Amino acid sequence: MTKWAMIVDLDKCVACQGCSIACRHENNTPAISPEEAAMGRAIRWNDVFPNPVNGTEEAGAYPHVRTRYLPRPCMHCENPPCVKVCPVQGTFQDENGTVRQNYARCIGCRFCTVACPYGARYFNWHDPYWSPEMARCLNPDRVVGRDDLEGPAVRLRGVVEKCTFCIQRLYAAQDRAAAEGRDFRPDEYVPACVQTCTAKARYFGDLDDPDSTVAMLSQNPRAFRLLEDVGTRPKVIYLREG
Amino acid sequence: MINETISRRKFLRLSAGVAGSAAMISAPRLVYKMTAVPNPITLPARLETSGNSQIIPTVCALCPSGCGMLARIVDGNLVKVEGSPMHPVNLGALCHKGQAAPELLYNPDRLTGPMRRVGARGAGEWEAIGWDEAVRLVAEKLGNLRAAGRPERAALLYGETRGQMRGFLERFMTAVGSPNAISHDSLNIEAAKLANLFTQGVYDLPVYDLENSSYVLSFGASLLEAGRNPQRTIAGYGYLRRGRANRGKLVHIDPRQGITGAKADEWIPIAPGTDGALALAMANVIIKTGQFDSDFVHNYAFGFEDFKDDQGKTRKGFKNFVLENYDPRRVEQITGVPATTIGRLAGEFAGNPPAVAILPGKGGLLNGSLNGLAAATAVHCLNALVGSLEVPGGALTQRYPPCPPWPELPDDPVAENGRQAERLDGAGTHFPLARHAYQAAADRVLDGYPVEALFLYDANPVYETPGGEKFIRAFEKIPFIVSFAAFMDESAQYADLALPEPTFLERWQDDYMEGLGYPGAALRQPVVEPLYDTMPTGDFLLKVAQAMGDPVAAAFPWGSFKELLQDRLQNVGTDWETLAELGVWLTPGYRFARRGSARWINEVVGKDRRLAARDGRFDFFSRELFCHLSERSQEWETAVSGDALYLPHHEDVVYAGEEAAYPFLLNVVTLMSLGAHSYNANLPSMQEISGMTVRETWTSWLEMNPETAREMGLADGQTVVVESPFGKLQTTLKLVPALRLDVVNLPHNMGHTAVGRFARNRGVNGMSIMNPASEPFTGLAAMTNTRVKVYSVSRES
Repeated sequence: MTKWAMIVDLDKCVACQGCSIACRHENNTPAISPEEAAMGRAIRWNDVFPNPVNGTEEAGAYPHVRTRYLPRPCMHCENPPCVKVCPVQGTFQDENGTVRQNYARCIGCRFCTVACPYGARYFNWHDPYWSPEMARCLNPDRVVGRDDLEGPAVRLRGVVEKCTFCIQRLYAAQDRAAAEGRDFRPDEYVPACVQTCTAKARYFGDLDDPDSTVAMLSQNPRAFRLLEDVGTRPKVIYLREG
Repeated sequence: MINETISRRKFLRLSAGVAGSAAMISAPRLVYKMTAVPNPITLPARLETSGNSQIIPTVCALCPSGCGMLARIVDGNLVKVEGSPMHPVNLGALCHKGQAAPELLYNPDRLTGPMRRVGARGAGEWEAIGWDEAVRLVAEKLGNLRAAGRPERAALLYGETRGQMRGFLERFMTAVGSPNAISHDSLNIEAAKLANLFTQGVYDLPVYDLENSSYVLSFGASLLEAGRNPQRTIAGYGYLRRGRANRGKLVHIDPRQGITGAKADEWIPIAPGTDGALALAMANVIIKTGQFDSDFVHNYAFGFEDFKDDQGKTRKGFKNFVLENYDPRRVEQITGVPATTIGRLAGEFAGNPPAVAILPGKGGLLNGSLNGLAAATAVHCLNALVGSLEVPGGALTQRYPPCPPWPELPDDPVAENGRQAERLDGAGTHFPLARHAYQAAADRVLDGYPVEALFLYDANPVYETPGGEKFIRAFEKIPFIVSFAAFMDESAQYADLALPEPTFLERWQDDYMEGLGYPGAALRQPVVEPLYDTMPTGDFLLKVAQAMGDPVAAAFPWGSFKELLQDRLQNVGTDWETLAELGVWLTPGYRFARRGSARWINEVVGKDRRLAARDGRFDFFSRELFCHLSERSQEWETAVSGDALYLPHHEDVVYAGEEAAYPFLLNVVTLMSLGAHSYNANLPSMQEISGMTVRETWTSWLEMNPETAREMGLADGQTVVVESPFGKLQTTLKLVPALRLDVVNLPHNMGHTAVGRFARNRGVNGMSIMNPASEPFTGLAAMTNTRVKVYSVSRES
């Protein structure tokens, strides 16, 4: 079975946020009003954070300051706490281990948002808004069949949304392979953030294939996972700086 | 219990009471009921998408990187852009700004057609006109100026434009008969270009081969944020960081750490404006310890040792000058960098070839501290000292794709006469070393230089120059102003004609590759039908030329700008159809020129010198500068005299504002998200994410060291006043420990009063309180010599 995983090399990442905006335009997350953004309600499935996030003391005192930046997509945990707490099976792990969200079943209780130790889930407080001009650049792709739309289909207020590893791009790649009458290869598909990464800091592939780049890099001595001790077993694996 | 009618509230209470006991069976029962219908997880899913989808290659224009782009068009709409894997600058990647390109195309604040002002200047009252009318008005104005024998009174200010468009704009002004095609380079990259010209003899930015370098020394070059072409340097950085035995080391020298300093292996917080002194102290150590490239400095350079000039007078060479003046212990006092650190950096730089010292293209504190050129020269000389010119991992020279020469201009006495006039910005006269002095145009107009027609192409001087309101006053003296901006920006507000050009996604244009060394051309093409009644400025000016009739029309034998491109790009190595299909054509592989060879002399060292010998020697003692200045050196308001003038040296920064009253240096920082064009501030996603490093959004902020803030009783997040001798602003204070105690930072491209709904009234514009002066002689804008004081709002009231 394929097990999609991502490696983020923090030595290469320059915190440019290309991933954040590639994700936005691939997945139709709305740019919200400045007032809402100031309340921390901006929806960026793949956000980038300074580390430490708050406070200036932890980074050290001038001139011995160490500033770090951390891009954070959904970790697509092998043991996802969000799936466990969902009362309506609105979020689930698919056959490839990707954690997905079924917008029709979601009742907006936000248990998952609280359960996720990475803050990777976003609640729609309002219906998203695009001006008529801006609405023309929305990604028209839709994943359908499992009760309701997934992928970049626009979400309305009251549902939780999250990174899907750009599931629509997987389906598109599989459809392309089928149309060409050949087998789908795992290297035909990467999420938008991986494709756009300016410093080529991201790798994507099948963790179950021992010869894949991600499987090999996951054994690198620099490899670590976020909050490893909470037992979520993320499939997004970081490589330390240096 | 099952049969009881229980409320939801009661159920929850019951469940809570027996949590952990056998009564938990109620939960599986709930699950069971829900799975009585088919579990959606096990259902197959499929992708629904429009069959009417295509990919069109083009080139991004949101910053000077010029990345290849693939536009995905579905049912006639641009729905996504990706990096083009064919393009060597970005290799399939695209930054956040490029990714937000659809927000530019579909921006609700774009101008929708040509307009003529009807109310007072700046009142915002316009009437729609037709393009034919616009062509007639402009042609008539220029025709009148020519008929009166003063075509030099037409002027063009232009911003970020490359490829054929830059040459075309200059040709248009030349054909009309004006020397006044003025680039905004003096605001950002000109210090580096001039430093390269006066040493290596190439009027261009050096290219840095980061991929192959072992040691990268960045002098305030914000490589990873807003350098000249950030995508290129980020890609190079990413490759430098590949796993290998000798991992490339990056050292960032800047009062502000920023992202480049944070990602660097070492950050050297240096006193602002003293980079040149540090470079010279490093040179001192390298020379003293004999670690320089002896072959290069003696056989392919000029002025390393003392020498005798034509009159037999002994002139000071770089070696003795540096040994006498820049002892690390002395420089420690100037720069605040410990002498031991200087010694170590010098040893590492000379001992880890290939090493390269990088000049800031944009950003950083070298440019225009009133010692900008001398400092930039000092930095570039480090590369020469260790022989890192034209070697893998060193500083390379950009080559361009071959283009046929522009056709001869027709015989035109009016234009020839006009071209001889003094430039509006004083380049070559008031500023003898300058090629462009964009910000000085306003001063010169106010001093009486007559301008009767002004064109603004991607130029918003009212907003983007230090003390830009002076342009509003200058505009009052100009009777005819035309803006080609796609948005109603601060300068277009004062125009008489607003003739919007389409966004880069709707027009034909080329872009050459920069930053890799080898030549390449890329083609920008319309990916969607133009949304509005706009016209590409190239096409517009061609129509104007036709309407003006001969001899101006004869200088432009092309029917459209696309035709011009087809003609100009015929020799790039492929045919037009292939170029349009791939979006890019290149001749990969940098061809290194052997030292002293014909290619070395023709392409690498000395090719752009106008007065000094083109003998393939790198100038430590700048002969070009000597030829320009020897007769005017008395006028040079400088701390140094004699031969030091022509050698790289350090001068103390001349600050605007007394240190006692204004304790901080104001550093206006270009962020990657907002840089390059005013309209980038009107992309909503860029407003949302630009404050990531300090967790701010949709506003500007002032960065200050927490130690300083504590002493002053200021706290994170409070509103403060930033006051310089030129004005004051109010913004939010953010404490950033990775910053020198005597510097405060403001992000650039915030605080617009126009452009559009997303940019307007968001934060403050640091440029508005900056020193509006220009560097004497070089005409560089004084971007980094303004001092400010900071205090809480309550103290003001």
